[in-house]
Order: sequence, then structure tokens, then C-alpha cells
Amino acid sequence: MRVSFKLNNQPVEVDAEPNEVLLDTLRLRLKVTSVKRGCERGECGACTVLIDGEPVYSCLVLTPQVEGREVVTLEGLQGDELAGRIVKALVEEGAVQCGFCTPGFILTVYAGLKKGLIKTLEDAKKAIEGNLCRCTGYVKILRAVSRLIK
Amino acid sequence: MSLEDPYSILEKYLSAESYFVVGREFTRVDALEKALGRALFTEDYFVKYVYGNALFVKQVLSPHPHARIKGFHLKEALGVSGVRAVVTHRDIPGVNQVGYALPDQPLLAEGKVRYAGEVVALVAAESWERAVEASQLVKVDYEPLPYVLDPLEAMSRSDVLVHEEAGSNIAFRTKVRKGDVEKGFSEADVVVENEYRTHHQEHAYLETEAALAVPDSEGRVTVVGAAQHPHLARDITARVLGLPASRVKVVVPYLGGGFGGKDDEGPLTVAKAALVAYLTGRPAFIVYSREESIKVHPKREATIIRYKSGANRDGKLTAIDVTIIHDTGAYANRAPFILWRATMHASGPYEVPNARVDGYAVYTNKVYQGSFRGFGNPSVQFAAERQMDLLAEKLGLDPVEFRLKNILRPGSRTLTNQVLDHSVGVGEALEKVSAKSGWFQKRREYSEYNKKAGRWRRGIGVGVAWHGISTSRGVPDWSNAVVKVEKDGSVTVYTGIVEMGQGSPTSSHVQIVSEILGVPPENVRVVFGTTEAPDTGATHASRGTGIGGIGVEVAAGKIRERLARLAGDILGVEPDKLVFRDGRVYPRDNPEKYVRWVDLVREAYAKGVELSATGYFFLPKGRFDDTVGQGFAYPAFSYIVVVSEVEVDTETGVVRVLRVWPALASGRIISPVQVEGQVEGAVVQGIGYTLYEQLVFDEKGSILNADFTDYVIPTVMEVPEVEKPIYVEDVYKYGAMGAKGVGEMALIPIPASIANAVSHALGVNVTRLPITPEYVLELTGSLKR
Repeated sequence: MRVSFKLNNQPVEVDAEPNEVLLDTLRLRLKVTSVKRGCERGECGACTVLIDGEPVYSCLVLTPQVEGREVVTLEGLQGDELAGRIVKALVEEGAVQCGFCTPGFILTVYAGLKKGLIKTLEDAKKAIEGNLCRCTGYVKILRAVSRLIK
Repeated sequence: MSLEDPYSILEKYLSAESYFVVGREFTRVDALEKALGRALFTEDYFVKYVYGNALFVKQVLSPHPHARIKGFHLKEALGVSGVRAVVTHRDIPGVNQVGYALPDQPLLAEGKVRYAGEVVALVAAESWERAVEASQLVKVDYEPLPYVLDPLEAMSRSDVLVHEEAGSNIAFRTKVRKGDVEKGFSEADVVVENEYRTHHQEHAYLETEAALAVPDSEGRVTVVGAAQHPHLARDITARVLGLPASRVKVVVPYLGGGFGGKDDEGPLTVAKAALVAYLTGRPAFIVYSREESIKVHPKREATIIRYKSGANRDGKLTAIDVTIIHDTGAYANRAPFILWRATMHASGPYEVPNARVDGYAVYTNKVYQGSFRGFGNPSVQFAAERQMDLLAEKLGLDPVEFRLKNILRPGSRTLTNQVLDHSVGVGEALEKVSAKSGWFQKRREYSEYNKKAGRWRRGIGVGVAWHGISTSRGVPDWSNAVVKVEKDGSVTVYTGIVEMGQGSPTSSHVQIVSEILGVPPENVRVVFGTTEAPDTGATHASRGTGIGGIGVEVAAGKIRERLARLAGDILGVEPDKLVFRDGRVYPRDNPEKYVRWVDLVREAYAKGVELSATGYFFLPKGRFDDTVGQGFAYPAFSYIVVVSEVEVDTETGVVRVLRVWPALASGRIISPVQVEGQVEGAVVQGIGYTLYEQLVFDEKGSILNADFTDYVIPTVMEVPEVEKPIYVEDVYKYGAMGAKGVGEMALIPIPASIANAVSHALGVNVTRLPITPEYVLELTGSLKR
């Protein structure tokens, strides 16, 4: 079925299966590779995207559900000032190891900061609780985020 | 001795007075690319370049723990539109044998299946949906066989054999015989004896296994795949395909985590994709679902460890008697090596004059044993370190005090009677971390606090661990790399070491080249994880930097010797008086009299000075006698101490780790930020192992919780304060710039330190992992089992 939505500020139209998940549409049809396949059941957060500004697991969203909505991935935030600060903080704090979970963390933190929901370290923890990282132990990720709320 | 002799190069940089790049703050070169979402992982190559033109490969798994395969019915599966092949063992053109240590394992099940989850067939189709549909239509005639799931039962039975040809379910045995154990116990004033049990752990890397194979018209295959040792993946693939190794090329892009899991499963993943590509002549892509990943790939083994140890009133260990049983599962894989490592580390990093250790790797009809950060060591250090606390208690000594009386020091003899001549900083690490953590005071304070018997109890525990560098015993190990200086002065490095998060090729390798040749890091490019580079060995065993980096150091060192002679001629200075730094070469005492690096390189090309070099280095080792487990075990040991502070809720049984103090004695610290990252990551992965993660098997040995909802890995909510590590830089003469190894270290003593802290908090004896709320309540008597 035809589904039209905005991806990274550009209108797109895809011919998706009714049961197709947004993760597959983004990766396979639209070649958006920053969105990662981790568990395919909403457990790890590697496939996080922003839908109308909200961080969402794209493996749990059916593509027809984003009809008329705005989808943003890390590719759409290149040049964005806040995203740039998040990237810089993660890189400088050494919070990037394998990098597979990193795009998902950035989008989650971006949405939280944008909406003013991350004001304390506890807020930061709550915001990223749904994103799994197996390399860093989260220590440097938290340090990077705390740098942004100071 | 030639100036290009690897030993003199290693000696030169080990004893350098100062370093410009090594040991300094350094931003790994892949961080930005990854944080911008541009880094490509295996599946990304498929998505970007091959999707639409490649076959999807779906695996068919055995539902039985043990069954004879009487036949296959593939017609129905082959009838699904878009299905191009259903591959079973019969289609393998080469040898269906992928066993790592013993030749006991097929790539695709043949004759029988030995665990629920074993791969019996591969379905290749034009779309994922059709591949999945057809995989469900593959019919296998199974004749179910009796099966064994419990290793103790498996050891004692000969009527149910996982491998008939082995004649027993004991896959492998190890032993250490040192001194006179009976005499040692007769000299002991206190003796402690316990049985410890530890459980399986799942790697849970965020990226599951994947490989993309592309055949060419010349009968060659190129595979982009997630593996920790490209050359091993190539060799196994070549064997399965019946091709010379030179016809198979493996490229490992960025890995979304490895932790040992892709060391074992990587080559098999690569071989499966290559097999389909080779048979169909089409590009083939395989990616494991999370459920497949958890059910199929090898795990950290479950263990049973019986441990008896004694000490005298002077606080010295007199004897240990240890039996280690590993639940090896269906295939031996690396079990013999894991068991040897556990066996030779069974004493902990202490002097013990009399020892008997017996190890058994036992086949069962479960998912098999494999590499996982620590490689058999976390469980045995848990047992050894619980024993140390219990002996200290009986002797009325503080746990740290007791350990210091027995700790290995330069000149000490190890469990295998190996004399440690240098690089033994563990005692200093223990002293420093107990001071930094306020150990003695906290230990007393919490004991007092706990006497009040409130709902929450506090405990502080220590775990000390050692970990042999390189392969066990005399097993050959080497490093290599190719370094080339291009005409414009930039440098290209080729290594087989992979990048899986740890950052060796993207930080320490770059730093080593930048240090030795004096070129800025941005002019150094490291091509990693490819069979086009010389075989550098696997990226496992904490060896990416410490051993992988030797090849880089030696190759860069050779080129520097050549350029130093040339620059010496140009400047009229002795070559060994020259400094290479910031793109210039100058005499140490006169930085203004310099030749620019780019000019020097141009001159070298003009004068016929070769600017490429290999850095082969074969690690010198000694003799080891397998029959008594005595002799040269490892070239050196890395050491770590962690102190953990916990809070236990006695009503719910929930344990929280509040704070962790690590201290490393792992030789030179080349990239401090990356070392911290390895320590922090391993601490949290260790906390997961110790408190939360537990695979649950059903009555047929099938894993019930093959997902992240029911297999719980730590989130940010479970993270304690992890203090900056203390470094005791006890450099090792044959490590890259003196480095030993860090990657696995912090995980190894975490179970011990948490178990010791919980035992301190509650006044109980923790002997099992994981320390779940149910187990805590059982220990406190609030819950009867």
C-alpha cells in the first residue's frame, strides 16, 4: 500500500506491505542505515527514530501508521546544533565504542533535551533506560549527557 | 644484532624516557563516524549495496536435544516461489567439519542433532518472507534419542553418549599436580571446603551475527562478515567449500560487539553465507534473529567447582584441592582451552606450595561452550576468592591483609611452578585500591552498621584476579602487521585485528605509529579485520593491543630505523640521537635543526630506502608438561583488583552495587580513555552476569528466554559509580610498548567481589551465581527452598 510521510524533512512515498515495519522500510527501501536492527521486538532501542519529535522503536511501528507524519533519523540531524553538541559530547567523553547503539541513544537524548525533559542526571537515566548498550557500561554515556545539562 | 631485530625494537620503546602520544589523551579515530551514524556494519553493506540482488539465508534449527536424522524432505520447501536452494550437509562440497579444538562438530547437522537449536539446513530465497516460509516447510525425519542435560549425570552415564565415538561424555580433562597436597593440608590450621555453581551467560551483543558472501566467476568467494578473526573465518570457510584458503577473502567491518561470541560463531556465520553463495552463484546474506542468535551460538559455560583450601596460623596458604566441571554442551569447540585456563588460574594470584586441580569438560545435550570475556576464569576466580575470604575469617584476618600475605610478587612461583621474573604489579594494585576505597574503615563500619539488623545492609568485598596473556602453555602465538609510508608521508597499516568496540585499531595502533614515526594521528590509517593483511591472530583474549600492537610497533620501528639512518646522514647526527615528532625529525638537543617528515620520505623514495615493513613477532614460550600441569603457562599475567560496595534489601532480596573501585596491573596504558571504557563496560557486564542474567532451559534443554525481555541485561539503571582505575604500569617486555591486556580484565573479579560484599553484608556464604533476590532470601532464611 502507498504510504506518504516526511523523512528527514523530505516528502517520501513508499509502496509498503500492510504488515511491514518502519525499521524495514527505512533500512531496506530507503537505505537509512543509521537505524539499526537489534532485537525486532522493542527491547533494545537500536532502531529508535523520532516520529513527530517522539523517540519510538521503529521495529514496533507499522509503516502505514506513519502516513502523514514526520520521521527523523540521525541522517536528518546533520547540521542541527543540539545534535551536534550531543555528538561532540559523546565523542569527547569516549562514550562511543562499537557504535551500534549510538544513533538510538543520540535520538533519545535529543528528544529529551529538546523537550526540556532532561534536567538532572536522574532524568537522563530515565530517558535512556530503554536503550541498551553492551559495551560502555553506560558510564561515559551518562557523563556525556550530564555535560549537556550543566 | 640487526637494528631491525624485533627484540631490540621492543626493548627500545619499552625503555623510552617519555612518550608523546602513547599514554596521552586520544580521541579514537572512528568515534565521530559512528556518532554520526555513518559507520557501516555487516548488514549495512547488504542494505546499501546488494539488497535486491542477494539471496536471503534462513536457518532451520533442531527442536530436539538429541535425535538421529533419518532423512530430509525438501520438496515442499523448494516449491515455495522464490526459493533457490535448501542446503543440507549433503550439499557441502568440502569437509563438513568445523570443530575448533576437536574434530567433533559439523557446520550442518549430519547423522544426528545434539542440542535444541542446532542448525540442520539453510534455506535461500529471493525474499526474507519466502525464506522464513520455506524454512518452516523443511521436513526432517528425526528419531528422538535419550538425552543428558546435567553434567554430573552425563559424567556418570555411558548408555547415553552425546558423541558415541568419544566413548564417554567427558570431552577433555586437565590437571595440575604440585607439591604434596596431603602434607599441605596436614600443615593447615584452618581448612575451608565448598561447592560453587555458576551459570551460562549470553553475550547479547547489540548486533546479531551476519555475513554477506559474494561469489565471482573465478570460483573465489569474498565475504563481509561479523567475526573476530578473519583468517580463521577464511580457513573454516575454505575447508567447508573445499577451496584453497587463498581463494576465500574475508573482510570484517565494524562489529556491533563481540565479547568472544563472534570468535566462535563468526567463522560459522561466514561459512554459511559463503556456502550458499558458492552453490547458487549468487550473493547471499545471512542475519540471525535475536532468538536464533541466543539459541544457536556458544555461551559462557555453567560450572560446578569443588574447592578445598587450607592455610596456617601465619596466614599462608598451604594447599588447594580443586575440581572444575564445565558444562560443555553439545560440542567441544574451545572447551579444552577454556578448561586449561580455568585449571591454571584455579589458585587465584597467590603463592600456594601444594596443589591438586582436576578439570573436566563434559558433553551435554545443550547449547555448547564458547569464548566469553574471561574465558573460564571468572567462575574459578569467584570460587578461589570466596575461599580466600572464608579462610581469612577463620584465621581472624582482614581479607585484604590475608591476600597480601600470599599475593604473587616478582620472583614468585605460580600454581604451575612458573617463576614470574617481572611485570607482577598485583600486590601494589591491591594496596593502592584498598587505600583509595577506604577498605579497612568501611569494612569495620559496615559490620557495625549491619549489627543493627535494619532492612538494608551494607557490604564491601574485594576480588583479585590474574589472567594469563596469550595462549595457554606452549601453544604458538604471534603478532604481525604491515606498515607502509606512502609517497606523501601518510601511513597505511594493515592488520587482522578487528574493531568490535574495544578500539585497538582505531586508537592504540594509531598512537603507536604516531609515536614511533612522529606523524600526526590524522595521517595514519589502519586497515583492519581483513585477510588481505597478514594473519594477526584473533581479536580475543585481551590481545588486540597488547599482542596485536606488537606487529604494528615492530613494523613501524623497522621503518624508523631506516629513516633515522637517512636523516642522520642528512643532518650529520647519530641516528639514535634523533627525535621523530609532529612531522619533523631533529636532534634531541637541537629541535631547530630539523628535516621535515615529508621531505625525508621523498628523499627515501629517491634514494631507494624501502618504506614498507612487516612486523612479525613470534612470542617466546617455555615448556609445559600437560600430564602434571606444571611448567610455562603464559608469557605474562595481567592483574586486576576490584573493590565493590553493595546494599542488600533483606525484605526483597535485591542486591544493588553502589560503587566499584578498580585497580589494573596490565602493563603500559596506551589509551587511557579506551582502557577506562573497557573497565567500565566489563564491570557492568560482570554485574549483569553476577546479579541478573540467567539463561533458562526447559526440560528438553531448549532455551526459554531467547529475548531481551526475559534475558535481562543491565540498563543504565543498574550502573554503579565506577571510580577511575588505578594503574600500576608493570610493563611486560614482549607486549606492545609494554602493554599486557585489558579487555577481559574487569569482568573476571566482579562476581567474586560482589559475592564477597553480599556475604559481608548478610553474614552468609554465597556459593552460587547469579545472586538473585530468591537466592538472597534463601541465604537469609526468609525463603525456604
